Amino acid sequence: MLAVWFITACFGLFMAWGIIIFNRLVTARNDALNAWSQIDVQLKRRYDLIPNLVAAVKGYMEHEKEVLEDVVRARVLAMTTGRIQDKAKAEDGLSGSLKSLFMVMEKYPVLKASENVMRLQEDLVTTENRIAFARQLYNDLVANYQILCEIFPDRLVAQVFSFRQFSYFRAGTAEKETTRVELP
Amino acid sequence: MPVTFIDIERQKNWRIGVLFFFLVFLYFLFAFILVQLVVAFLPGSEIFFVGAKLKYVAAISALALTISVVHFGISGYTAVDRVVEQVRALAPDPDDGVHRQLINVMDEISIASGSRKQIQCLVIPTLSLNALAVSDLKGRALIAITEGLLSRLTREQIEAVMAHEMYHVLSGDCLDASVATSLFGLYASAAEGLKEAVAQDFRVIPFLILFRVLNSLGMIVTMFISREREYRADAGAVRMTRNPLALAEALNLISGRWTGAGCIHEGLEMLCISSPSPDIHDQTEGWWSDLMSTHPPLVKRIDILLRMARVSPSALDRKGRTRTAYQPEAETLYYALDPENVWIGPFRVTELTAFPWFSAATMLSAQPGGDVEVAETMTVADLVLDRNPAEGRGGVIMSCSSCRQPLRKESCAQTTVHRCVLCQGVLVDNDRIFRILARREITCGERTKALLLAVTADSQRSLSIRKLRLRERKTIPFARCPRCGREMFRSFYSYAFLIELDKCSICKVTWFDADELEMLQCLIENKLPETASDHIGRPQP
Repeated sequence: MLAVWFITACFGLFMAWGIIIFNRLVTARNDALNAWSQIDVQLKRRYDLIPNLVAAVKGYMEHEKEVLEDVVRARVLAMTTGRIQDKAKAEDGLSGSLKSLFMVMEKYPVLKASENVMRLQEDLVTTENRIAFARQLYNDLVANYQILCEIFPDRLVAQVFSFRQFSYFRAGTAEKETTRVELP
Repeated sequence: MPVTFIDIERQKNWRIGVLFFFLVFLYFLFAFILVQLVVAFLPGSEIFFVGAKLKYVAAISALALTISVVHFGISGYTAVDRVVEQVRALAPDPDDGVHRQLINVMDEISIASGSRKQIQCLVIPTLSLNALAVSDLKGRALIAITEGLLSRLTREQIEAVMAHEMYHVLSGDCLDASVATSLFGLYASAAEGLKEAVAQDFRVIPFLILFRVLNSLGMIVTMFISREREYRADAGAVRMTRNPLALAEALNLISGRWTGAGCIHEGLEMLCISSPSPDIHDQTEGWWSDLMSTHPPLVKRIDILLRMARVSPSALDRKGRTRTAYQPEAETLYYALDPENVWIGPFRVTELTAFPWFSAATMLSAQPGGDVEVAETMTVADLVLDRNPAEGRGGVIMSCSSCRQPLRKESCAQTTVHRCVLCQGVLVDNDRIFRILARREITCGERTKALLLAVTADSQRSLSIRKLRLRERKTIPFARCPRCGREMFRSFYSYAFLIELDKCSICKVTWFDADELEMLQCLIENKLPETASDHIGRPQP
């Protein structure tokens, strides 16, 4: 009789342990997924802002057509890419082309005087920062989740319920190359 | 250690419970002593002790618990509103470029922390440099930054400061500090109210004393609030922004400047990024300082951040200066032959002039063992040799209290003053101030007028004479008398002319920061613009 009770208690404890770990894994996974959706929100915001900025500065920047075209092309590329690795690369390309645009804009004092352009620029700067911070958060949470999936004994639960690994939002090659700007 | 800020937010807070039990205990003690006293003075009853009559003790406990719950409830749920009212914080104006940037920065930090908590962001209309965070039991949270700090920081630095405050809110230590502040703030405001009533009715005096005693018991709570929380918040800010240098720069800017003494209500120190009324405990270490102070030394905080960023303090200094109006030029360095015939150096020209033995005949060289020239023949000589550095007591060179550059003797309104070459601050003997002011040789430009308007409006607003007296003669740990090296007192020139000056009562000298002497002159000569009286005492929209 005692043995039955003992075995039941052990099984109960084992179940409780499994449930706690399972819940922890699910929480970590959903935090990471949520962070990913946050990046998406900010990326969308950037897609929406870019046409406005391009329209606002186009009239002034007759000689810098290719910079503007770069931005537009990078935007289209980023919007159409689906897979996470390619997406990171495309987004970095867009960030790079935007940086060159900002640098070129420095050369036009008339743009600085325009309230509208300054406002758009501030909006884009903050969106860039938001994307960077959202990525940082996503990567932190993925790292957190990854650790939970891999440490012993949690990995046993993770393997039984096949929690899959996420990939980091890595900085692509475009980000690492410093933006080239010809000084006048 | 929680892994992310999301985890921190999920944690329950136990310290707030400790605070509550402290309050219950406090009221129990008071009620007990009170009953003892009443019983002792009543004829025909004997003094009883704990355990002697259980029902009395039970009654007192119940009373203490009830009062505590009411008090805790009121202060816990109104903490944010009270602080907003006290510092007169306003919502940022979305039409203002700087404020718009602040709103954006706030959103960015919110994303970086991964927090889903709604945190309000406000601006305190004062020129002082500070920022604070409050949260209450309702779950409201608020971060406020002064207009002065906002206007002087770069975008990254604002981000770092906001992240610091955000960490306070998310980690929950802000809630403890807010509730503690609010608990004892109630006593302070009750005492304030009663003080008015004393004039009419003398019977309220015992209550006044009671509230005063309770208020000073609030000191005990500041001992609960550890200094460590500031270090932790700094570390948390770095984790959010990944930019320790920006926070170090911001703290460096705050250090030694006006952090809002008199403008930010006393008792809110715990909530601020740097104590608004710094006392000596805030700048020292050791167990006593740890106990008495709510903020660790800024120097140490900056040091830790710089080590994280792997930047040397001197680099920060250089960077800090380039951010402000001063642009250091590439100066030639010289080696000099000192009176004992030893080559020392290299020094900048301003540094050379600080030596008492430096003269036109001093030998100089661009590098040790290189071509030697007499100072007289160098091109820099004209600039340097006609100005003598000022000597303090015992032949020691006087140096500026804020930027450590040597002071130069200068003629101002036909009397001698000592001016810092870098920051343009002036050291004036007390008896010479009146001479300078009386001679009216300082002109009052548009810039001075504008500065004066801002400074006096800021000083006058919300300050009664009584409050001013309270804050008088506080030592400023960062400002040292250039003459004797002791700490100076910061006080107003007078209650009629609200310009804050640093004074050394031993050497009888006064330190005017750049433009302050001009502003005082301007104020005394009553050259304020016509509209000044309309602006003063009313915060600018």
